[in-house]
Amino acid sequence: MLSDLLFRLRSLLRRRAVEADLDDELRFHRERQLEKYLRSGVTRDEAMRRVRLDFGGLDQVREECRDARGVRPFEVLVQDMRYAVRTLRKSPGFTAVALFTLALGIGANTAIFSVVYGVLLRPLPFREPSRLVVLNETTPRVGTVSVSYPNFLDWRAQSRTLPEMAAVYGLSFNLAGTSRPENIHGLAVSSSFFSMTGVRPVLGRVFNASEEKAGTAPVLLLSYRLWQSHFGADPNMLGRVVTLDTRAFTVVGVLPSDFRWTEQADVIEPVGVWATGNSSAAERGERGDMVVLGRLAPGATLGQARTEMEGIAARLSRAYPADNDQFGVTLQTLRDAFAGDIRPAILVLLGAVIFVLLVACANVSNLFLMRGAGRTKETALRIAIGAGRGRIIGQLLAESFLVAFFGALGGLALAAAGINAITRLMPMGSLGGAEVSLSPAVLLFSAGTMVASMFFFGLAPALHSARTSLSSDLKQGGRSFSAGAGQNRWRTTLATTEVSLALILLVGAGLMVKSLYLLLSVNPGFQPERVLKMELSLRTSQYEKDPAILNFWRQLLERVRVLPGVESAALGTAIPLTDDHWRTDITVEGMPVPEPGSFPHPDVHIASPAYVSTLGLRLLEGRAFADADTETAPRVAMVNALVAKRLFPGTDPVGKRFHLSRPSPGKAPKWLTIVGVVADTRLYGLANPSRLEIYLPYTQAVTDGMSLLVKSGVEPAAITSAIRAAVDSLDRDQPIYGIATMKQVVEASVSTRRITLILLCLFGALALLLAAIGIYGVISYSVAQRTREIGIRVALGAQRSDVMRLVLSQGARIAGAGVAAGTLASLALTRLMSKLLFSVSAADPPTFAAVAIGLTGVAMFACYVPARRTLRVDPLVALREE
Amino acid sequence: MPHIDLPQGTLDLLILRTLALEPQHGWGISERVQQMSSDVLRIQQGSLYPALHRLERRGWIKACWGTSDNNRRAKYYELTKAGRRQLAAEQDTWLRLTAAVAQVLGTS
Repeated sequence: MLSDLLFRLRSLLRRRAVEADLDDELRFHRERQLEKYLRSGVTRDEAMRRVRLDFGGLDQVREECRDARGVRPFEVLVQDMRYAVRTLRKSPGFTAVALFTLALGIGANTAIFSVVYGVLLRPLPFREPSRLVVLNETTPRVGTVSVSYPNFLDWRAQSRTLPEMAAVYGLSFNLAGTSRPENIHGLAVSSSFFSMTGVRPVLGRVFNASEEKAGTAPVLLLSYRLWQSHFGADPNMLGRVVTLDTRAFTVVGVLPSDFRWTEQADVIEPVGVWATGNSSAAERGERGDMVVLGRLAPGATLGQARTEMEGIAARLSRAYPADNDQFGVTLQTLRDAFAGDIRPAILVLLGAVIFVLLVACANVSNLFLMRGAGRTKETALRIAIGAGRGRIIGQLLAESFLVAFFGALGGLALAAAGINAITRLMPMGSLGGAEVSLSPAVLLFSAGTMVASMFFFGLAPALHSARTSLSSDLKQGGRSFSAGAGQNRWRTTLATTEVSLALILLVGAGLMVKSLYLLLSVNPGFQPERVLKMELSLRTSQYEKDPAILNFWRQLLERVRVLPGVESAALGTAIPLTDDHWRTDITVEGMPVPEPGSFPHPDVHIASPAYVSTLGLRLLEGRAFADADTETAPRVAMVNALVAKRLFPGTDPVGKRFHLSRPSPGKAPKWLTIVGVVADTRLYGLANPSRLEIYLPYTQAVTDGMSLLVKSGVEPAAITSAIRAAVDSLDRDQPIYGIATMKQVVEASVSTRRITLILLCLFGALALLLAAIGIYGVISYSVAQRTREIGIRVALGAQRSDVMRLVLSQGARIAGAGVAAGTLASLALTRLMSKLLFSVSAADPPTFAAVAIGLTGVAMFACYVPARRTLRVDPLVALREE
Repeated sequence: MPHIDLPQGTLDLLILRTLALEPQHGWGISERVQQMSSDVLRIQQGSLYPALHRLERRGWIKACWGTSDNNRRAKYYELTKAGRRQLAAEQDTWLRLTAAVAQVLGTS
């Protein structure tokens, strides 16, 4: 009841006033009673005696009133807390170690959970986000690919489990008219995108159904961020014209600030604008950069939708074999699309920090047990003068609570710093734009961690203390530590657990180290040293014709090549490890014509002559492109080793011919002659196998978007500004973007693994340190406890080395049991992280052996330090202690 | 006539009943009970105050400071609405109980 609670609270908070009131009240009562007796004619002394008799003990009444007010439990709590603060302050060393250990454990958990929450748990900013799914097409030759627009239209017309669907096309634009020309990212979406996601603009309107049709007027939604940063949050933004590439778009709305998509989206245009004059919108065989968003019908499951969509895709494959042969469909939840492939890494890290917390708790628990043993006499005394076991346990739990609470506060501070570091180390893209912060949900988690760890480390010591036996403990006068065998066993178990948990973490870290080492020793097929990459995209109207584009590229190369410090400069599309690449079917001269879905489907790179030498590709056969391969010269191509092996087995491909796309009857094919073979490159990540690649000269396959590669001995920053000046001298409105060294490109491609590795190593080291401290504590305590025994042994003639062996063997048992248990647990657990490993088995024997040996070494060293103390035991002193 | 110690649970009822007449301070309550019961019932003065505090916590009575008939500061208790309901309920229970007990005693 609320009033009841308020009453108790008031009594508690205004304790002094309430007590004074009670005293006044009781005094009034006694005075009236006294007057009454006096009036009846007895003497004053007799009257006072009667009053006292009537009333009983004043203190007892006061106490009963307190009980009646219902504040006793609170008062006990306050008392326990006060006492706990005093005892903790009396042993600052113990308190500091316990607090710091817990702060590390809780801090690590909070930091990692903030990532887990931000990426995997925090609701996406859409209406019923769990009902949204993302659809892609698949083909066995490549895997998951984009969706063709006509296929999307058929899907939407036919599906019942996904009654609403929207196309989402990824685009990029050159944004002109602001201080510096720049490249921005955007989306083209169906109008249903907004009704499906529930995204409402903060300003203006979203798109209507008529804007799905090609030929609609160019209108635009701005992201909140772009509106703020580039347009000064202009409240009159609606109706303003923004020029993207060369087209004038009218702004019709501004997206909410929490809007995000799986890829960066600065602007959104209606799919009708994208479809205007765009062959991709009409041709079923074209698969650009489109995914489809679907909303599950009420009651429908993802599995049902998958089954239905696979049926629809199979029908479309039969109906349009030329474009859909062997194309299927794949569905994933929007959450998975956002989380990408970072989920396993995050979950492994979450598991790791939980282990760290367990180790920390085991350590603190051991500290408490040790201290509890030292306080046996105090406890026995308190029980003797009437404290109930409940009060003893409550008292110790109060200490645990304080340690946990302040440990958690320290943990939050560590977590805040840790989150900062993690978000800087993790590439934003890999987090799917998730916000990682100490949000209320994360704070709640920390509080939960605090309470859980408090019970984990506090309960056992508290129960042990309460089991104190009165007579024996008081008799022993608290001098000898009289921890029972049960307590010692418990403490040994805790230390063993710590060792095994540390082993699991170290094995995990070891496997990651080995994976990353092997991954970085994979030959990427190019030499990233000293190569700088930047991207250009020629979008303005002056580049509508191929000669204009080619002219720009040629002049750019000429001007950059002569910059001081530049060794070579080249242009190319689809730099390895960067982005999605353009692919097409090819037809090799004389090959048997396969089914439409089985044509060779290589990645296509367009390159300038110096591409091979600048990127350090290895030329295996023939020659690279030359300046002589002009737009009018015979058409040529290079292929990679995999093409040579697969399509020209046993023969030299140089001199052979192929053409792009499939044979089309009635049209003379434009044959390309292979002039060279280069080594395979790792296109889609170091861990992914090589793919078929062909190279075309930039003069014969003109494209408006290329990467400029510059090899130089100069600082990247210095050369960048020189290159920018060169570009400006050609076209002032031309943005340069995606500037990175190829080293950075390689690093970025392994960044998730790297951060996982760094964190796992950190956690492993932490666990190792804590486990070492744990063993050290157990052994040194046991040495202290056995001083007399050791003294007797020495007095009876035992060799020092025998005594030392005695102590060390105790440590060896702990280490041995811990390593054995940890190894077994690791074998079961590391399988869960196999997705993160690269060419290392989850049960890699060398890693397991190295970790087990190293850990045993550390454990034995932790024993050795206190064990040496036995050497200094003087039997006379030890025996006199009795 | 000798005093009778109060049976368990009747103290609350007597306090509530007394306060139903008018707001009263602790001493006044104990005097009034004694008086109304023709000196048969006598409240253990020590147990009166814990009971008052308990009733206040339950929200059946509320307290405020006032001036007593001999011009001294005294804490007066009065019945709340919930207290009035409680009194009615307890009174009813009590009457039925005593009637039933009397009936049993009478027929045995």
